[in-house]
Amino acid sequence: MAWNLLFFYLLGGISLLAAIGMVVAKNPVHSAIFLVLTLFNTAGIFVMLGAEFLAAAQVIVYAGAVLVLMLFFLMLIDPQNLPERGGGHPVQRIIGPLLGVILLLEVAAAIANRAVSGTTGNATPENIAFVGGSTQAFGNLIFTQYLFTFEVVSLVLLIGVVGAIVLALPERLGERLSTISLGHPRGTDAALPEGTGAAVPVTRADRQATAALEATREVILVRDPDAYTEVKSR
Amino acid sequence: MTELSTNHFLFLSAALFVIGLMGVLVRRNLLIMFMCVELMMNAVNLSLVAFARETDTMFGEGFALFTIAVAAAEAAVGLAIFLALSRRAHTVDADEFHALYD
Repeated sequence: MAWNLLFFYLLGGISLLAAIGMVVAKNPVHSAIFLVLTLFNTAGIFVMLGAEFLAAAQVIVYAGAVLVLMLFFLMLIDPQNLPERGGGHPVQRIIGPLLGVILLLEVAAAIANRAVSGTTGNATPENIAFVGGSTQAFGNLIFTQYLFTFEVVSLVLLIGVVGAIVLALPERLGERLSTISLGHPRGTDAALPEGTGAAVPVTRADRQATAALEATREVILVRDPDAYTEVKSR
Repeated sequence: MTELSTNHFLFLSAALFVIGLMGVLVRRNLLIMFMCVELMMNAVNLSLVAFARETDTMFGEGFALFTIAVAAAEAAVGLAIFLALSRRAHTVDADEFHALYD
């Protein structure tokens, strides 16, 4: 048996077992660890296929960033919110695997009976070796023919980051954050002239009077901006 | 099948995809369903690269790279949505979210 076949079965077998473990694990943290194992083995298979850059990207982005994000989310969420409640309809638990097996058989039959057609490209092993390796050929492709797509994908990532920040913010900021303000208890606005509004210009004397008051105001820390309205005697 | 061929990689890809699909169909935990979707994307990447290698082109690898980038963006947004959902409904069980149905 050829060595590459042996390595393929090793990597593929471990990735399949880890994928099954990911699906059946009760604890989402165990699922995440199994997913890391699957992705690492798939990165090994990418190396076998001669796509070294993709293997590195897979390890860094998938196994690194995305899985760390998932584990971070698992730490952020309340543990008693995690478990599944009903576990789905009983029929669903039978139909799901059945449909999966049928799909697998269909795809396997399609793969077994497929015929290669069409023309082949010019990225033959000799040409790839000529430009200096798979990563160089890949870079040539990405930064010439797919340059616009590359920029669009970077925009997608940027929008994704902004969207994640907006979505993960608490719904009402007041629930979590306190309001910090200089004290405005009733009565301290007495320095301003009566009926102060947009129509009445604030004079320099008014500013000086309020500035003197502001210097002596206390910092008030309240959960609700309207909570502190009492006149506080100094 | 004693020689390593493209079909080996395609079979592995199909098996990984189907395992992910079964996970999405059977499991009800949003996080695990999400990981299964990531696994399915990974399986598709594998078959893209296998086909690219078979036809002596680099396009499949380019597609796979863009898939990885989109999956990363999807992970960030999806997890943020799950966080907001779990704050509101106090669960991540997919069957518990039926506000539009009620």
